[in-house]
Parts: sequence; structure tokens; C-alpha cells
Amino acid sequence: MSLPRYIDSLYPSPATGMTKRHAKPALARIELLQGTLDLIILQALRWGPRHGYGLVQLIRATSNGVLQVDAGSLYPALHRLERQRFVKAEWTVSGNKQRVRVYTLTAAGQKRLTAERSRWEQLTQAIEGLFVPPSTEEI
Amino acid sequence: MSNGDWWNHPSRMDGLNDELRTHLEMSIRDRMARGESRQDAERNARRELGDVVTIREVTSDMWPHGWLRDVMQDLKYAVRSLTRVPGFAIACIVTLALGIGANTAIFSVINGVILRPLPYPLPHELIYVTSQFPTMGLDHFPVDAGEYFDFAERNRSFSAVGAYQVTAVNLGADDSPIRVVAANASASLFGALDVPAFRGRTFTNQETLPNQAPVVILSREEWESAFGGRPILGKQIQVDGVARTVVGIMPAGFDVHDQGVKVWLPLILDPAKRQQYRGGHNFQMIARLKNNVSLTQARSELETMLEQWNVADGGTVGAKCCGAGFVHTPDPKFHRLRYDDLQADTIGSIGRALWTLQAAVAFVLLIACANLANLLLMRAETRHKELAVRAALGAGRARLVRQFLAESAVLSLAGAVLGTVLAYVGLHALVSAAGSSIPRADGIAIDARVLGFTLLLALGTAVVFGLAPALQMTVGNLALTLREAGSRTTTIGARARLRSGLVILEMALAVMLVVGAGLLVRSFWNLMRVDAGFDRSHLTTFRVALPTKVYADFTRRVAFYDNLTRELNAIPGVTAVSGMTGLPPQRSINANDTDIEGYVQTPTGPAENIDYYQYAMPSYFSTMHIPMVAGRAFGPQDGPSSPPVAIINQTAAKLFYSGKSPIGRRIRPSGDTVWMTIVGVAKDVKQGGVDSKTGTELYLDYDQSPHAVQYAPANLNIVMRSERDAAALAPGIRRTLSSLDASLPISQLRSMDEVFETAVARPHVIAELLGVFATVALVLAAVGTYGVLAYSITERSREIGIRIALGASARDVLRMVLRQGLVLAVIGLALGLVGAGMLGRLTGTLLFGVAPTDKLTYALVAVFMLAIAAAASLVPARRATRVDPLEALRSE
Repeated sequence: MSLPRYIDSLYPSPATGMTKRHAKPALARIELLQGTLDLIILQALRWGPRHGYGLVQLIRATSNGVLQVDAGSLYPALHRLERQRFVKAEWTVSGNKQRVRVYTLTAAGQKRLTAERSRWEQLTQAIEGLFVPPSTEEI
Repeated sequence: MSNGDWWNHPSRMDGLNDELRTHLEMSIRDRMARGESRQDAERNARRELGDVVTIREVTSDMWPHGWLRDVMQDLKYAVRSLTRVPGFAIACIVTLALGIGANTAIFSVINGVILRPLPYPLPHELIYVTSQFPTMGLDHFPVDAGEYFDFAERNRSFSAVGAYQVTAVNLGADDSPIRVVAANASASLFGALDVPAFRGRTFTNQETLPNQAPVVILSREEWESAFGGRPILGKQIQVDGVARTVVGIMPAGFDVHDQGVKVWLPLILDPAKRQQYRGGHNFQMIARLKNNVSLTQARSELETMLEQWNVADGGTVGAKCCGAGFVHTPDPKFHRLRYDDLQADTIGSIGRALWTLQAAVAFVLLIACANLANLLLMRAETRHKELAVRAALGAGRARLVRQFLAESAVLSLAGAVLGTVLAYVGLHALVSAAGSSIPRADGIAIDARVLGFTLLLALGTAVVFGLAPALQMTVGNLALTLREAGSRTTTIGARARLRSGLVILEMALAVMLVVGAGLLVRSFWNLMRVDAGFDRSHLTTFRVALPTKVYADFTRRVAFYDNLTRELNAIPGVTAVSGMTGLPPQRSINANDTDIEGYVQTPTGPAENIDYYQYAMPSYFSTMHIPMVAGRAFGPQDGPSSPPVAIINQTAAKLFYSGKSPIGRRIRPSGDTVWMTIVGVAKDVKQGGVDSKTGTELYLDYDQSPHAVQYAPANLNIVMRSERDAAALAPGIRRTLSSLDASLPISQLRSMDEVFETAVARPHVIAELLGVFATVALVLAAVGTYGVLAYSITERSREIGIRIALGASARDVLRMVLRQGLVLAVIGLALGLVGAGMLGRLTGTLLFGVAPTDKLTYALVAVFMLAIAAAASLVPARRATRVDPLEALRSE
């Protein structure tokens, strides 16, 4: 049986589709990535409300093109964050007279961002710690 | 893919579509602004966006939703993935339809016959009361009118006691006289059953006393069919030549003990003659328990009643039949009463047969499940990568298991729908073919309860065959697959073992079914070959009932039947005609006390009692081809003025004369004054059932009986020997009968072969059904074996290629695959035979003339099943020999 095309195209971005219900300790690896995607989106929204396409552009630009979030990951994440009330969404008309759905960070989202950031900092500190050569006495 | 997900928040789905479209448009515009051509921009933007259907699906998963949407989502997904493999889906659905349909059909029968409560208020309070004579082997005998009166008066456990007697009457209907089933019923019977009349009223106590104005109650069915449903209350109709006033019409479906009663007459009994009635066991009793009394309490009260019964009627405790101080009343040892739940008694012995059939179809369904589990397992393996990807996308294990179960549920429900249609058709055929051999058959239908059963069964089935493949797809397995990009892993061994286990299970279940079917088919075969004692081919029979009021004189009855048989004999093609009271092989037992001169009854020996009385015209033995073992048949020399004669059967001769010749000995019905001399011993004839032991039988010469016993029965069965069949003879018979008396209906006109078919209809239909189920099981098991071997050949093609490359011959490969199939078959066979042996104890009572562990049947089944397994293995084995080693090695 041949594989459905869409699965091949989505495969490289595993950071989608995880809901709390499905989270299993065995999948800590994916949870980490999901947390990271949340952090990226919430952080980007701190600079003001944005629609989906705008977020993709903003994240790409501010990360110097390193972070590329594709639509298949972004929209599920946005809608999940909306359900969790970390962001709220509104239909408005853009400068190009287009109807767009604009996402805004909520107070709860603000809190969540702080938490995610401190988690991220802990992690990076921990990893940086690995780069410091161990003192010989402790061996 | 259309956007018809109506359960998916339609407006939200529209919004998401807008959102994605805007995203795409912005992306295109930006790309064009960077200098891409419109065409390139559109193509690249689309590629960058990815598959919209999936984005939509995954995103909508994030929306708040209830369980219903979850379920619908899973089902939708399942339907979509199954329509991609229509052949697989159809094979599954048809298999399930057979399995579920068979279960639905048999459960409909069980529901209509066993589970459906009797159509009376509080039916569990109704008790069927019969008498028992343990020393005479009578366990379920009618009661006499004396004990009915006693019982109704003395018991403290029942709120109402009714008595009745089922008979048949000639009913003067609109167009022509008809013969219908009737019951003589006490007024209290309607009270005990607690059913009021549909129109008019039921009988009063007054109407059941002698010398009252004759009345009648019609069933609603008979009122409508025979009298067109026109107003009839208070009018008179002809019943057995007597004008009776219609006082009531009973509601549709009202009946007693599934007898099909259409006309109700008052049971005329004179309470003053209670003592004279004793010994005439002709009545059935139904009693309603008081609502605070249990059956156990009633039974313990009965013991006390039995202890005191004969003393209350002037007898002495412990008096022996038939000496001083003896009265014919119930007692604790020789003449007991028994209580049975009315519903259980009405259903009778068919329960075991039906549950056996239900078990058989459950086996068929289990085999189907094993087959489907295997199919799904194989399909799951081909879908490994797809599933792994879904898992990586975040679908948790629970989600994947749910999706597997959704697929099974879709298959199962589709199978259930098709199966219900099959069940409907099958039930229709079953009831019209065998309805007469099944009690309460008119209530067999696919009702709400049956549909509920089918739905539960379908869901249960889905879990049974869907869970194994679902659980195989553990997250661990999936992670492994991703890493190894779908290459072979060691888990294949475990999966192959599971598949083999399922094939063994199928084989074992099929063997058990085939053994059961084989035993029942042999039982039926044995039944058909039972020597009934006469030649039933080329015999036509029908029944004539003379109204006793019109033909009150016994000699007039004899004269009528002499005329009738003489004129029937004149019909061209008819070689012999005779008449008799009892039509073998399904008579009910008479068990008449009979004086046998010179026979001394001992406490342990047989009672002085004859099982069957047969009033036969002199031509009876020659017409039926019943040979005389000793002495002679009745003849012209046995006239009204010559000494009364009798004939007994072999069983009676053996039982009462212990090896000595009974010829010349004398015999008479108890209470009669005239002795009859035995002039002959006739070969045994099966009277009370082909599968029962032959009882004792006494033949009385019908022509002589008005003088010998001062009696002649009014109703006779006529038998005619002719090369022409019943249908061809019918017009001549009708003409002859109506020329003698136009008011007489003909009933039960058919060939004697048909009479026999009716007698064995139940074992016939059970054997036939089990045969069908066993065949289905066999086919499924064969297909299952084939499927698993074929799959394993595909899986092992590399190994087989290497073997061939290393010099294995086609014959070696063939043998290897055949061995694989046969090993599974032999294990399954062994388990199946052991299982069949254990089940044999449960089905033993359904068998006739064959032991539940019959070695021949087991051996035949073993050979047969191995042949089937070999045939099923042969096709994949031959394919294996054609594996191209180069091709096989390259493909990996």
C-alpha cells in the first residue's frame, strides 16, 4: 500500500498534534519540542498581535532564518494555545483589505511565557554547564 | 476532499479555511514581490503550506470537542481508510455478515421461544400441574377430575386453579365445515390465566355443570377467519353437530400451553360425581401461585397434601392398589403430582437444542473473528510506516488503538446490517419449513431486543477481532520501525506466532462444530432408518371425526366406517383401506389399566397396564403391512356374535407372558366384564415417537367393539394404500366422504411419509442447521489457513529464494510449506477433538443411536479436516515453488 502523500510532507516536523490527552512519558522528546514551539510563538506575540502568516515571517526574520515554522505545525499550535486560553483570536481586516485572524497574547499566556522561558533558561544553563571542564578534585 | 464534516463546527471549519487561504495568498504576494513569476509563486507557496487536508484535520483536533465528535471523527477516518481497500473491506463485511447474521437468526428463535414471556399477566406465577406414576414410568401424565376438585379445594398456595382438555371439533363455519383445535375449559381457567374476553365474557361456573344451555367462546383468529369478524355474540353456531351460543371472543394470541386452541367449550364436570371420576386421567391443570407464595413453599405444601390425600377421601394410609382401603388418589409414592413452571413446560426440551445452535453460531462468529484478526494483523503490517508516522505526529497509543477499533467497528456494523438482512430471510425460511416442530414459533421475529443483541454483538465482535492488531501496534514497536525504516525486525517472529495461534484456534473450533454436525446428521440418519414396524411408503392418511351427538349409536359409527372404507377402496388405484384410532408414530400414551388374566403384579414388576389401545378395523394389519408374529389378524370370523378377540404386540407379549405363548389367553380393560381372547401377536409398531422405546399395545377389533366393550370411538384415522399420491387421491376422498355425510370435514390429509417427516422435523432441522454452520466454519477455517500461509510465503520469499539458490528442489519447498500448514492443522485438530469430547456431554441428549464420542465420526472428521488443511496449504505451497531466487534477493 502506498503512503498518503500528506504524511510524507508532514513527517519532518514532529512538533504537531500533541494534545495533553495523548502525552505519554515515553514521548518526553516530543514534549520538549512542543514546549519549545509554544515558547517561540508566545515570545513572538509579545511584540504585538499577529496573524499566522505574519508570525511565520516574524519568527524567520528574528531568528535570522534558522527557525522555520511551517503551517502544519503553526496552526494546530495556535488553535491549541487558543483553547488553553494563552492566546485569543479575532477576525480583523488587514492593511491589504484582507480578512485575517489575529492572535493576541493573554494574561495567562504572559504567565505561561514566563514559565516556559525559565524552563528554557534552566535547560540552556544546564547544557552550558556541560561545556565547562570538570574540576579535577571531583573526579 | 470535501468539507462535509458537519460535526466539526461548520463555521469554525470555514474560518480555518479562510485563515489558510489568506496565508497562501499572502505568501504568493510576498513571493511575487521578491520577483517570482505568478506560476512559480503559486506552486512554491502551495508546497510550503503543505497538505491542507491534514492541516485542517490536525488543527480541528485541537478544538474543544465532546466524545461524540471524537467518535465520529474516528469513524469517518475509518470509513475513508477502508474505502481505499474495497476488496478487503467487502471480504470482511461478508464474513461478518455470515457470522453475525447466523447469531441474530438463532437468537431471534431463542428470544421468541424461550425468553419472550407467556402472554398472560405475571406469567411466572403460573404453574402447570401434572400427575406422576413413578413405578409405571409416567412422569408427566394428565390428572383426573377427582383430584382436580380435591386439589382446587384443599391447596393453600394457589389463588386459582383451572382445568382443561385439548381436543378437536367440527366447526360449522361460513362456507364449509372445518376441523379446528378446541379446548374444554373450566370457568376458573380463564381466571387463573387472568385474561378477560376481548368481546363478551368467559364462562360462568354454572355453564360448566351438566345439562346447561350449550355455549362456546371463539378465538379472535377463528372469529375473523371462519366468521368474517361480523357480530356473533349471542348467536348460535354448529359445533360437532350441536348448536352453541357464542358468549365471548378471546383476544388475539390467547392460547394455552401452545396448543393452538381456536374454540373454547365449557369443561362439563359434575362435582357430585367426584369419586366416579377417579382414574380417568384426561385433564391438564394450570394454577396461579398466590403472590406471596414461592414455588418451593408450594411444593412443600404439596408433600403434606400427598400424605393426607387418600385418608381425606376415605382410604387407609399405605393401602396397596387395588385392595381394601384403596382409593385412586394421589399419594407420596405411587401417584404423585408435580409442579412445573408453565413457561418452561410449554417450551419443553427444545431449549437444549436451541442453546446448542446458539453455541454453534457463536463458534462460527469466533472463527470469523480469528480470520478477521489475522487479516487486520497483516494489513496493519503493511501500514506500519503510515502508523509510525501518525504516532510521531503525536497520535498517542490510545488514539491509534481507538482508530483501529473504529475500523473494526465500521466493518462490524456494516456486517451487522447485512447480517440482519440475511437473518430476516433465513428466519422466514426456517419458520415456514420447521415452524411446526418449534413451540411458540409464531412469536419468532426480529424485534427490538434482537436488534439490541445484534448491536451489542457487533460491537463486541469489533473489540474481539480489532484489539489484537491494535495492541500489536505499540508505540515501542512504532519507534523501532521508524528507526529501521520498515526493515525486518525480530518482532516478526512474535507476530507470526500470534497468526499461527489464531489459525489453530479456528481449526479447533471448526473441528468441534464439524464433529457436532456429524453426530447430529448420523442421529438423524439413524432416526430415518428406525423400523417403525410397518411399510409407510404409498400410504395416504386422513382423519374423520363423527359428531358424537349425531352418531350416538356405536353400531352406527361402525357401519359408517365400514361404508366409508368400502367406497374408498373403490377409488381407482387404491389397493387397501382401513381405519384405526391411533396414528403412529406420534401418539400420546394412553396407559390404561388392563386386566391380564393369569398375570400377577409384583411390587417391582411391570404394572398391569397397557401403554397404547388401538381400535383397528380388521383390514388394518394387511393395509399397513404389519406382520403377525404369532396367531392371526382380525378377520370376518370375528363377527358381532362370535367371542370377542384381541391382538397384542411383541413388547406386551414379552412383558406379560414371559416367553410363553399369549395365544388363547384372555385380557380386558379394567372395569369391563367381558374378557377378550388374544388371537394374535403383531410386530411392534412405533407409536409414541420414532426415538422412543416401543410401548405395550393392545389391538381391539373396531367392528366388534360395540359388543365386546360396549363402545366404539367416533374419530378414526383412515389409511389407504395406493400408488397414487395424497394430492391425486384427495378429490376422490372428498367426494366419497361428502356423499356419505356432507357435514364432515376432512382433516390432516397427507402421505404417511409426511407424517414421519413431521415426527422427525426437529432433529432434521437441527442437523441441517448445524450442517450449514459447520460448512461455513469449515470454509472460514480453510480460508484462514490459506491466508496465513500465503502471507507467510510472501514474508519468507527471501528465505525461500536463498533455499532455492542453495539447491532446494521445488519438491523440498512444497513439502516445507505443506508441513507448516499441516502442523497448524494437526494441533488445531487435536485441540478440537478434545474439545468436542468435552462438549459431547452437553449435547448427548440430542443424539440418537450414536455415542457423543463415536470413534467413526471423530476419525472421519480428522481425515476430512486434514484434507481440507492440505488443500488450503497447497495453493500457497505451489506459489512458493515459483519464487525466483534472484528476484527475491534483490527485492530486499
